[in-house]
Amino acid sequence: MLSELILIPAAGAIALMLWPGKLGPKMARDISVVCLSLTLVWTLVVVAQFDPQAGGLQFQEALPWVDTIGLTYRLGVDGLSLPLVVINALLTLVAVYSSGPEMRRPRLYFVMMLVLNGAVAGAFLAQNLLLFFIFYELELIPLYLLIAIWGGARRAYAATKFLIYTALSGVLILAAFIALVWFGGSTSFNYDPTLAAMLPPLQQLLLLGALVVGFGIKVPLFPFHTWLPDAHVEASTPVSVLLAGVLLKLGTYGLVRFGLQLFPDAWQVVAPWLATWAVVSVLYGSCAAIAQQDMKKMVAYSSIGHMGYVLLAAAAATPISILGVVFQMVSHGLISGLLFLLVGVVYKKTGTRDIRVLRGLLNPERGLPLIGSLMVLGGMASAGIPGMVGFISEFLVFRGSFVSFPTQTLVSMIGSGLTTVYFLLLVNRVFFGRLAITTPSQRPEPDICLPSVTWSERLPAIALAVVIVALGLQPNWMSRWSEETSIALQLPQPTAIAQTTVSASVSATVPATAQATGQTTAAATVLALKAPALD
Amino acid sequence: MTTTQSPQTSTHPLEDFVDRLLQGEALLPDNPDNLVEVVGILHSYGVVLDAYAINLVYMAEHQFLVLFPFFKYFNGEITPAKLLRHWWHDRINYEYAEYCMRTMLWHTAGGGLEAYLDTDDFRQHCETAIQAKVKSNPLIGGLHRLFPDFLPEQVRMLAYTSALGQFWRVMSDLFMDLSRRYDEGEIDSIPAVVEHIKAGLVSAAATPITYSVKIGAETYDILPASANLTFLVDVALPYVECIFLRGTPFLGVVSYNAQAQQIPGTQSGFTYGALFADPLPTGGAGIPPTLLMQDMRHFVPDYLHRFYQKAPRGEDDIRVQICQSFQKSMYCVTTATILGLMPHAADTSDSAEQAANREHLIAWLDRLMGSRLPVVQLPSQPIT
Repeated sequence: MLSELILIPAAGAIALMLWPGKLGPKMARDISVVCLSLTLVWTLVVVAQFDPQAGGLQFQEALPWVDTIGLTYRLGVDGLSLPLVVINALLTLVAVYSSGPEMRRPRLYFVMMLVLNGAVAGAFLAQNLLLFFIFYELELIPLYLLIAIWGGARRAYAATKFLIYTALSGVLILAAFIALVWFGGSTSFNYDPTLAAMLPPLQQLLLLGALVVGFGIKVPLFPFHTWLPDAHVEASTPVSVLLAGVLLKLGTYGLVRFGLQLFPDAWQVVAPWLATWAVVSVLYGSCAAIAQQDMKKMVAYSSIGHMGYVLLAAAAATPISILGVVFQMVSHGLISGLLFLLVGVVYKKTGTRDIRVLRGLLNPERGLPLIGSLMVLGGMASAGIPGMVGFISEFLVFRGSFVSFPTQTLVSMIGSGLTTVYFLLLVNRVFFGRLAITTPSQRPEPDICLPSVTWSERLPAIALAVVIVALGLQPNWMSRWSEETSIALQLPQPTAIAQTTVSASVSATVPATAQATGQTTAAATVLALKAPALD
Repeated sequence: MTTTQSPQTSTHPLEDFVDRLLQGEALLPDNPDNLVEVVGILHSYGVVLDAYAINLVYMAEHQFLVLFPFFKYFNGEITPAKLLRHWWHDRINYEYAEYCMRTMLWHTAGGGLEAYLDTDDFRQHCETAIQAKVKSNPLIGGLHRLFPDFLPEQVRMLAYTSALGQFWRVMSDLFMDLSRRYDEGEIDSIPAVVEHIKAGLVSAAATPITYSVKIGAETYDILPASANLTFLVDVALPYVECIFLRGTPFLGVVSYNAQAQQIPGTQSGFTYGALFADPLPTGGAGIPPTLLMQDMRHFVPDYLHRFYQKAPRGEDDIRVQICQSFQKSMYCVTTATILGLMPHAADTSDSAEQAANREHLIAWLDRLMGSRLPVVQLPSQPIT
């Protein structure tokens, strides 16, 4: 059931490689789209058959592979990985669909995209530490090539920097995995939440530290973030969509799956530091975003800030905050994917992403009005405006984390305000005012006329916007898959938290959303009243 | 006897245009694209002006002091189909005509009409008509007794409504005649367009502007023939001043906030008219010329339609393209006005007359400083 999610894109990649004769970009893209559509459909089949009431792994598959080193092909999915698998399928389809028809070496490009999709799915599904590591490293190769071959002017520098950072991340993770099995006396790398239970506290702390830094590079957390803006700026739009929407989630997923779940005791010890680290990341990412002149860099730094929320919620590890982790990962994947798509369209039509020279793109006749409107929507979603998924995720993160780390949570909330600041700066400068792509000059210039945006360019962004709003209005459509897992992943908490049920917490978000959409229901109100007080 | 003077030197930034006008050229460069745009758009403008003129005259004569003129745009023909179409807005947007009328009323830009509306003679005619109207309408009568300045101000507005209707009647016929002559091959250059308009303005210059309303069985003069108001001096020139030059700033384009100081302190300093307007905001919310462009797009002749289709966005930005063409055509009308008012023949050899001509042209070009004149010199099709 789960292997298909790896095999379908792999089969597509093989088909593209073996395709006889010359393969044009359009044909290659169509084949990839068909293949990824199948993957998405299969993912939805998995979702439909997934039992939300069962907290553990489902659809487990196990095949012996290299028993001598403890490597088995073992897959499984739970409420933590299921939404990420869906996001991976959706965003790869979006990214491939939005890949331009004029492209060098299309066969290799789409093969890389398919391999990337399969590898990331494998990483999210792997239930063997070595298998996870293999998939984790496997996705580096296509991503490196996608940046290095189809990137911008400084692509070689950006790709190499990305490779060095993430390879270092891989080394730390592998070392931690090997040490964990070695010290634990196990003969297998199969994932087992009790794997580290018998280790002395110091060893647990050291191993957790290695994992946190390793995955922290991938997230990325300050100060390991410097590869990300360079990679985003040089990567093409579809690759940026995948990088922000899916690849970064491997880091946060790893933190929760292998940090929190394998080392709950050590996690509890370092959690306050992690929460403080999250605050630094949030504030640094947000402040750096404000200072950017390149739209893409602004969205990239915004990602650093928003991924900090995930760390904050993971550090708190309450049922609500764990649900917030899942929501924030999905929410950020959708929103950053949308924003990168829109920035890509702006760049394609104007030839620049410099917010100092772009003006008035919302112009209804000659500008990019729909793209501008979606950018406003994306900015609002990112800033956590009710009615969109960003609000739900931030609400869950803050509400879930406040009990454990009130100070860090309150300071993190400043990040939401700062998100509004930089997106308002961006929208105001780039989309409002008189349409222009140069600084005003005294020389008479003809009236500007930007090329039209085609519906095929608008469609992926519209699709993501629809999902962002839909999940904002109906968060239960997603939360139901992860509620049980969130409870299973929680750390032992003091009384108030322990009494809190995730169902009540999600329901508590409903009135706020319903108020924003004018859909207040009596049932929602009743559920909200049941939600326990935070104090 | 003529005296010989050395040629005058000038440092006017638009000096090139003085020379061009003296050589019989227009403010707009003469090229095939401009000819197609100007003639084509004046054709559609002529059709729209015809509708505007009919409605303005209808409102002035048949909606006289009707306090709630719900059906003022219906020209007396009220049918469910017309009502639905009105609400659907796929119609002639008569609101734009009223907007121009109110702009003229507000700017008080000179001319005999404005002066006459402040005379005792007008007040007397006005009061007579008002008394005739209130006889059968006690509500308006009470209003008049409570606020004696209210109804006369309404009548002044109706006088402008009628005058603008009469002005556009002439202009509509003039533009449709131009279109016909172009179709017949008689118009082949921008100077020929200017010459046609100039001749039309000159021939209509002395056309009297009068206005009377029928209340009951009686007819009451509001602008009597004895006021000696004429087409060119009393309506056309104030129209050029108000609509071509001054205009009104549109919310969303400039800030109305006094502290922002984006609007001049005096009305005479306004430069938001057709010759200054930026076509790019066309289509934005709250930009009234969008209505005019919307109206004209229904009547664009085929040859101009094909021209617009060649643009990078095809017909997607047709309203902006229409606005650009319209602005070009208005520079032709302005050229015709400037040349028509020139004190002496352009090719005079008398240096005193040459100096007077130059002074006249410099005064006009002073008014065009900061206008879109340099932009309309650039190629028609926009860059991508």
